This record gives sequence, structure tokens and C-alpha cells, in this order.
Amino acid sequence: MMRRAILAFMLDRPGVLNKVSMLFRKKMYNVDTLTVCSSRIEGISRMTITLREDNIAKVTQVIKQLEKFTEIISVKELDTNKSYWREAAIVKLEVDADHLKTFKKRYNFEVLDQKSEETLIIQIAGSTTQIDTFLDEVGREYIIEIARTGVAAMEK
Amino acid sequence: MTGKEKVLAALKSKGIKYIFGYTGGAIMPVFDEMEKQSELQFIMSRHEQGAAFMAQGISRGSLSTDNPQLGVCIATSGPGAMNLTTGVADAYMDSVPILAITGQVATGVIATDAFQESDIVGVMMPISKQTYMPLHADEVEPTIHEAHYVAVTGRGGPVLVDIPKDVQNQSVSKNYQFDVQNYQPTLPGYCYHPEPEREPLERAIRLLNKSERPLIFCGHGVIASRAGKLLQKFAEKSNIPIAFTLHGLSALPLDHSLSLGMMGMHGTVEANRAIVEADLLISFGMRFDDRVTGKLSEYAANADVIHVEIDPSEIDKNVPTTVAINADVRRTLQVLLEDPMLTCKPRRRWFDKIQTYRTVMAEEQQAEIDKGVGDTGKLLMKTIVSHLSQVTKGKDLIVPDVGQHQMMAARFYNYQTENSWFTSGGAGTMGVSLPMAIGVKLSRPDERVWSINGDGGFQMNIQELGTVMEHQIDIKMILLNNSYLGMVRQWQTLFFDGRYSGTPMLNPDYGLIAKAYGIPYLKVNKVKDITPALEKAIEQKGPILIEFVCDPTEVILPMIPSEGGFNDMIISRPKETASKKIKKGEK
Repeated sequence: MMRRAILAFMLDRPGVLNKVSMLFRKKMYNVDTLTVCSSRIEGISRMTITLREDNIAKVTQVIKQLEKFTEIISVKELDTNKSYWREAAIVKLEVDADHLKTFKKRYNFEVLDQKSEETLIIQIAGSTTQIDTFLDEVGREYIIEIARTGVAAMEK
Repeated sequence: MTGKEKVLAALKSKGIKYIFGYTGGAIMPVFDEMEKQSELQFIMSRHEQGAAFMAQGISRGSLSTDNPQLGVCIATSGPGAMNLTTGVADAYMDSVPILAITGQVATGVIATDAFQESDIVGVMMPISKQTYMPLHADEVEPTIHEAHYVAVTGRGGPVLVDIPKDVQNQSVSKNYQFDVQNYQPTLPGYCYHPEPEREPLERAIRLLNKSERPLIFCGHGVIASRAGKLLQKFAEKSNIPIAFTLHGLSALPLDHSLSLGMMGMHGTVEANRAIVEADLLISFGMRFDDRVTGKLSEYAANADVIHVEIDPSEIDKNVPTTVAINADVRRTLQVLLEDPMLTCKPRRRWFDKIQTYRTVMAEEQQAEIDKGVGDTGKLLMKTIVSHLSQVTKGKDLIVPDVGQHQMMAARFYNYQTENSWFTSGGAGTMGVSLPMAIGVKLSRPDERVWSINGDGGFQMNIQELGTVMEHQIDIKMILLNNSYLGMVRQWQTLFFDGRYSGTPMLNPDYGLIAKAYGIPYLKVNKVKDITPALEKAIEQKGPILIEFVCDPTEVILPMIPSEGGFNDMIISRPKETASKKIKKGEK
């Protein structure tokens, strides 16, 4: 199913996150990622939700129903081709440091902490696919723990 | 001043007259304050659900008056607040503005499972337009003003204000200021578009002028925006027939020559057949609910759809529109009526066709009404409603409960007064009639109010007879007692091979119940006694209960089965099955 990102701006009031997530539950979506942060304007939050849906009419309906919430200021779906979708991940790995170095050219990651020869904590940012491919190439079996932020998105 | 004083000050400044509710630990400070003043009248319901429906009655009833009121209900925390939920959810489904105020446990113990604590903000969130919890006395007044604004603007809806007990008692800050006169809520994203845009309006008029077989849909939005007379003018000016949704009834006289009556599952043959044949639907303030459309894939397959609706999320939700006009119905009609491009066509063939639909069930239905009794020899609900319509000349206010009798009241009362039909449509909540009729009566004291009940729904909020007794609320209560849950029984007759599971009702002696509450009571078994009993009720000052002994085998037809199309319409009763089961199962 098609992955879609919905971007919403809303008043930073208690309960808004609850309302938004409740709507997605009511509409029977299992949300892929959801990120909330403050926006450029104080008191206004920015929320990015990614989910899977092929039917554009259903997405439009969700957007209209989000717009109904009194706290919501604006909502839109981001066009995949006209927007950047990025996430960051912190990964604890048990891997040979030299092996990791071989990826340095292709992937932009940073070592945050090296506990021992073989245990490192790194951070990596990029598209979801980039992070996925990086993890596949390094080898998922070496991962001890992973924390991903979920998608933040912006129009070009 | 304290939080509790601010609650009452805010309500008074909004012109509220009545507060319905029930006290309890966490709301005691506000109640204590209420006792010290006389402007706001407190009406104690016997259950919080009743209070929510009474509040709905105020909002719905006063909508068409010069002084529309917001219905207010109040309850304590925990179970008190939880008991409001059904009435609030019902208001949400039917776009009725009400304000629910609840007490909450003190801020210091919130989320500790304190005595009578419930997360009512969390509970109400998906069933209300907005929820609030002021956490300081300074926030109480602006919160109630914002709540009022949100409830009554755009598409109306219920709003909750949950106030912790310590906030009720807390004093406002020394430098507290609130400008009641010039208050404007800060809700940058909350906007509604009352004004129709020019471009879609022009396309709509072109479609209208071109159409051979147009049909107007009159929905709840017509009543909510007080546009019944304008809609009538528009229909007359453009010569287009009108079909009503359940909530659109009473927007204009039901016997108007252009009226086809109610559409949908229990709508008239003419309304539903016209929808199939129409080439253009012009729908005003409605949401194409499943009880209106039946099977969506077959719905209005031949028609373009113009949808005038204040809530953009309703447009294209169920039925794709050709022209969407996101605006207030009243404003749109005003603009349409002034438009010189709007033409009038005779549309003789269309009206001839409609005339043939009108005759499909007319004779047999009238014969049934005239006979007045069913196979069991007991009274027919449709006859009683028809007599009521004649006795009152269709001018009174009707508050039905939910079920078979509700559909009878929708179909066989000849509504003449604008905004005279008050029903639970979206939620279909049994037990609504008695409390809502109380609210409607208080909002329109000079008009006569009939609460029409089945024996199932009447018992769901029967405790509100106590409220009727205490305040001698002059409502005329009709009980259509067929000792069954009639609508479900009808489905069992038609679709479950006559297995009457969970529908027979063992009833109490309603005469004794009325007596216990000091309410006059009449019981009617015969057709000839129907009209005299109704006349007696009219003469009677104050409340009265009339019980009619009704035929359980009566069905409301036509009926389009759930998820069926208009071609699946049932227009005659499967008599054999029904009568066979009667011999087996009836008393």
C-alpha cells in the first residue's frame, strides 16, 4: 500500500495529540510514524503522520476530519515527489569498528560513543529507505538496540 | 471572585436560563453558588442522562425562536459525568449544541483513581465537538465563553467543561481581567464558511436550469440555519419537489404541494422512487447517512449532486458531489433566490411521474388508518398519530422516542410549524423523548408539546416523570404500548423468520405509575376513543399520560432493508408469516 505523509499544524494544547491519534484509530489505521515538535511560531505544534493507504478519497476524508478539530490550524498531504521525508536513528551495535568504517563513504553517520572495540553507539539521519539499507548492509544481527525518530517531512 | 462564581457569571452573560443536572461531591461548590442566586433556574433530573436530553430540548426547541438558548447540563465527577455520555454522544450525532459542565476531583489527586474519578475529558473527546479542563480559576470564564462559541457556531455540537473541585473554590488572581463584551476566542484554525462562493453557485444554477427531473433534499441544516421559509420559496420559484431527511421534517409544511415527505429507509414511495429517477439532487444541510442512502453503489446513479453543507468533511464523504457548496444553508438560499439566472420550468412529465408514485401505497395505507386496528384487534400506531395530527391540525411540537412509533410519528403527523419535530436521529437513543420533551416545553412554553413513546423507550428514562411531577411540566405523554420492542420485532418478522428474540416486553401497570407521580392517566383500547382522549389531554392543564394499547404486528412500510437498494423496497406486509407467528407467540 502507498505510504503517505500528512502534515498538520495545531495549537499546542493538552489533548490534541490524543484527539489526532484517536481519529486515526477510529478510521482503523495503524500509523507508521508520528512525530510532534514545536514550530517556528510559539504555541503552535507541527505534527507529521505517515501511514499506508491507496485510496485517495479516504485520505482526503481523514484530512477533512482533522481540520474539524478546533485546535487544528492546517492539514495537508505531502506529495512524495515534492517533499523531503527524513528520520534519524540512534543505533547500538556490536560490530567490528573497522567493518563499520567501510560504510562511512556511502552513509553519513556519526559515532556517538564507543564503549569497547566492538560496542558502538552511532547516529544516522536520512530517508527511511537509506536508514533501512544501511542497517541491512551493516547487518541487522549486529544491532543491540535501535531508536528511530519517525518521519519529519517538509515540502520542497 | 472564585471559579464557581465565574461559572455562573459566564452562563448568565450568555443568556442561559436553565441548568439541568444532578449534584454530587465534586460539583458541590457550583451548586452551592447556584443556591445564592435566582437568575438561573436549576432543574433536577432524576438521572444525568435525562439532564443531557433536557439540555438538548432547550437548544433544539429554542433554535427557531428570537432568543436561541444553549442547553446546559451539569453533573458531578465519575458516575455522574459518565451518565451524561449517551446524551452528549446523541447531541454530537445530531449536531445539537449543548454545554456539559462536570465536576472533577481536585487537581492534586487527578489520575490517582480517586473516589468518583473518571477521565471524562478522555471519554468525551471522540463524542463531543470540544472538551476543556480549566486548571486555574482564571481560566474558568474564558473557557466557558470559548465553549459556548464552539458549541453554537458552524455545525453545532456538544462541548464539555470539566472543572476540578479545587479550581471551583479557587480565587481568581488579583489582576484578573476578562472583557465579557469584547471577548473573541483565539482559534486560528477554527473557521466556518457561511458565505457561498460564486463559482460553484453558478455551476449549480446552470445544472438546476438544465435539469428535467430535479429533486431538493431538505436536511437538518435547513432547520439549524432557520431557512425553512427560504427553502420553500426556492422550491416554489424553481418548481422543484422536496424530499425530507428525518431531521429535515418540519422545516416547512409537510403537505405543501411540492413535498414528497420523508426519504430513506422508512421514507415514502414517492420520495424514494423520485431519488432513483432524478437527474439532479440539490441537498441542503444533510450528510447522506446510511439510513437515507441504502446501498451506496446503487444510490442516485442517474443524478448529479449539488451538496450545500456547512461542514466540509461531510462533502464527498458518502456520495460524490458534482458541485460542492461549503456554506451556510440560509446564506446560500438567500443568494440563490436573488440570482436572476435561476429559472422556473413546468416539468410536467416529472410531476406526472411523481404523481403515479404517490398512489402506490396511498389507498391501502389510508384504509389501514381508517380501520384503526390490526390483526390482533388492537390499535394501530399510524391511526393514533393521524388522529393526533388532525386534532392538533399539525401545529403542535412532537418529541418521539426511538423505534417503530418514531417512524410512524415521522410519517403520519402533518407538520405545519417550523421546527416542531425533535428526534434522536443519528444515535437513535431510546429513552430520549420524555427528558427532551421537558427541555422543548421549557424553551417554547406557549406551545403544546407531545412526548410520543413506545413501551421500551418510555421505561428507559421513566424516572424523569419525577421531574415532570416536581415542576408540573405541561407535556402530553403518549404511550404506544404494544408490549414489544416494535422496530426490532418488525425486523424479526421480515428478516429473522419471526423469531422474537429479546423483544417481548412485560410491562408494569402504567396507570399505577402515573398515579404514583400524581399524573393524570387515560387508557385507550378502541378507535372511537382515540380522539376524545387526545382532546381530553389538550383540555387538561398540566401533564397527562395516555396509554394506547397497540397491535404488535403492525409494521411501518415502506421499508428499504438495511444495505439494500431502492429497488428492494418492501411495500406490503408478509401477512401470513406475521399472523402465523402471532398465534404461536402472542398473549
